[in-house]
Amino acid sequence: MKNSPAAKPAKSQAIRSSVGEKLFQAINIVIFVLLGLTTVFPFLNLIAKSFSSEAAVVSGMVTLFPIDFQVGTYKYVASSSMFLNAFMVSVTVTVIGSFLALFMTTLAAYPLSKPRLRGRKFFILMYLFTMLFSGGLIPTYLLIHSLGLIDKLPVLFLPFMISVYNMLIIKSYFESLPEGLEESAKIDGASNMTILVRIVLPLSLPVLATITLFYAVQFWNDYFTSLLYINSSSLKPLQLYLKELFVSSTDTFLRDNVEANLNVSPQSIQAASIMLATLPILLVYPFLQKYFVKGVLIGSVKG
Amino acid sequence: MLKKSIAVLSISAMTAALTACGGGGGSASGTNAPSASPGATAGASKPKPEFKALMQYGRFDPNEQVVAKLLNEKTGYKVTYDMLPVENPDDKLNLLMANKEKYSFMILSATQYSKLAASGALEPIDELVNKYGTNLKNVISQNSWNGAKLNGKIFGIPQTGSGTVVNSSLVIRQDWMDELGLKMPTTRDELYNVMKTIKEKKNVMALSGGKSPLAPEILPTFGLPMTTAALGWEEVNGKLVNAVENPNMKKYLEFMRKLYSEKLIDQEWSLNQSNKVIENFTSGKAAMMSMGYFNAPTVKTALEKNTPTAKIGTVPYLKGDDGKVRVVGTAGISFYVGIPKWAENKEEIIKYLDLKLDKDIHKEATIGKEGVHHKVENGNYIPILPKFTEDYNDASGFLTGVDEKNYPIYWQARVRKDPVLFSAFESNQANAKGSAVLDPLSFAPPLEAVGKYNQKLNKLVEDTFLKYITGAEPLENYDKFLAQWKADGGDEMTKAVNEWYASTKK
Repeated sequence: MKNSPAAKPAKSQAIRSSVGEKLFQAINIVIFVLLGLTTVFPFLNLIAKSFSSEAAVVSGMVTLFPIDFQVGTYKYVASSSMFLNAFMVSVTVTVIGSFLALFMTTLAAYPLSKPRLRGRKFFILMYLFTMLFSGGLIPTYLLIHSLGLIDKLPVLFLPFMISVYNMLIIKSYFESLPEGLEESAKIDGASNMTILVRIVLPLSLPVLATITLFYAVQFWNDYFTSLLYINSSSLKPLQLYLKELFVSSTDTFLRDNVEANLNVSPQSIQAASIMLATLPILLVYPFLQKYFVKGVLIGSVKG
Repeated sequence: MLKKSIAVLSISAMTAALTACGGGGGSASGTNAPSASPGATAGASKPKPEFKALMQYGRFDPNEQVVAKLLNEKTGYKVTYDMLPVENPDDKLNLLMANKEKYSFMILSATQYSKLAASGALEPIDELVNKYGTNLKNVISQNSWNGAKLNGKIFGIPQTGSGTVVNSSLVIRQDWMDELGLKMPTTRDELYNVMKTIKEKKNVMALSGGKSPLAPEILPTFGLPMTTAALGWEEVNGKLVNAVENPNMKKYLEFMRKLYSEKLIDQEWSLNQSNKVIENFTSGKAAMMSMGYFNAPTVKTALEKNTPTAKIGTVPYLKGDDGKVRVVGTAGISFYVGIPKWAENKEEIIKYLDLKLDKDIHKEATIGKEGVHHKVENGNYIPILPKFTEDYNDASGFLTGVDEKNYPIYWQARVRKDPVLFSAFESNQANAKGSAVLDPLSFAPPLEAVGKYNQKLNKLVEDTFLKYITGAEPLENYDKFLAQWKADGGDEMTKAVNEWYASTKK
């Protein structure tokens, strides 16, 4: 708000601006549009490859538009049992994981947002501590092992129920809600739980949507956890499947495994696999976009 | 609430699916099969134990494979499989071993095998094999068994693969050769002249290639049959000497430097991945490339798509300076099958691994049923498509030792699934007949020093050689490089290799 009076004259000046300034603006726009395009280009290239014939892809003919348009690659990937299995694992983990994580994170954030909680500082400190320090890879592995979670589906989401960072965002959002709301509800005889469920949560939809998105993206894109803890092929999520698809086509891998050369998957199939693996999470964005900016902003600007 | 119940449901469904795989199937097929199978020995009334196996990475779900089911049914043992990951498999293996995961047997790479054996994680199997391994002893040669011996003891079954195979050869645009009236080169000098003419007349790079500075078709003409940068040993006066110490290596690098500076070879050699090389060749930017037979179908279709009149010719393996043709072949032990110290039922495990090499079981586990997956023509095994590919594409991942006489013949069914693939494979083998050279270390046991320094030296050699070829560093520095190579482990490796070599001659 403070900035707006200063910004206005600058704007009106811009209308009367010199040719030089206009040129500057134009060049700026061109440069930034080009910069933007460079980030879209690999994606378009991938789409084009996934719809092209393998022969065209191999000889480097495909750039932005498919050559010899076909959809056989998609049919092949979508009917491959390993892909479908990995897809189902990822969907299950993302849905269950984001829901549970949101639930747990909210339950942790709410009490911590109340100054009347005894030992609040201590608890917050405990949470922050885990953000900075962790046991390291091997102790964590041993812990997971003794919990009996190795090679079980829940290992992909149970250890990540609370991200302290996300919890703090929710917490500061809760703190920004007017205290009067809670007081009046209390006068009407509402319990803590009722206040949370009936009043606080409905008011916090933007931040909850944002955090859900954070969690969903995190679960969807995570491959490292499965790399460490999953041994069975039937429990491998999509990202691990993709990673394996690519690494097993690299020169280094093939040099050591000459026979694997006979089963390398074609580049067009690889492109189609990426597309099918990226699309679902990409489709979630537009629906949550409107909350997205609002949620993060409101949570962060407070104070 | 709804979401939560879905969550609970799917978790329980998952666990149900898991337990069903683990227990249900075993009791049904596991107990019935042994009494029916003729290979089973006495004591069949006792149910056979279930095994858990660890295998190398492959892009398939091992427990769903036809081969896995077939093996379970034929042997009567129920085996479930886990795989190592495709990246950093050694780290994962270390984790699993530190945890004493209950594996019955594990298919290990040479380095993994020697490390685990040295740390005492593997059970010596000499006696068990003597007692229960009739098939094992029959079909696996003494040469291979020697390659599994560490400090006088055998810790795993050596698994060789397809026999001696020559993977790549130089292919050239035959249509351009005809157009320019050029003859196929047979020596290095002729190759140089062909390259020069093509470059002048067609204005393209003559040879595309990438990453590895050791061109597998040119290097042997200097008398240096070297495969990977850190290996490549040769006997000189009864001692093994690495190719980097051979004075001819410098001459090779000089030659490559000349090709590079005259722009006859790919100017992006040091950056290219293999798909870039294929792209250059198939799009007509290059006249030659070194092609692995396994890439032949891709290369052919892509080239013909771009230039329907294009024809691919194969350059015969070139004569060396002494007039002899040398071709680098690959052979040797691909994997070792080890049993962890803490495994239960070790006798049964060996019995199982031995049973897998039973003539009929081994054959069916490799190439399937005759009439369903393959047919026999003139003693060759021809795959029946697409059934063969569907069921047996990944069968080699299940091998735990092979019949060294028959497997190389069975194996060719894999290559015959595509006529272009097979003709490229066969032409390589035919052209290399009588000239294929094997590294003396092919059947050596995994030597600790080699495992320790291989990667590091590989990188040193590749990086430095690429610099010499592209001119980023003058070749006069070769002595300095050699000194570093020796200091960085080359000397230790040479010592270890020669100690082993001397021990084989006794």
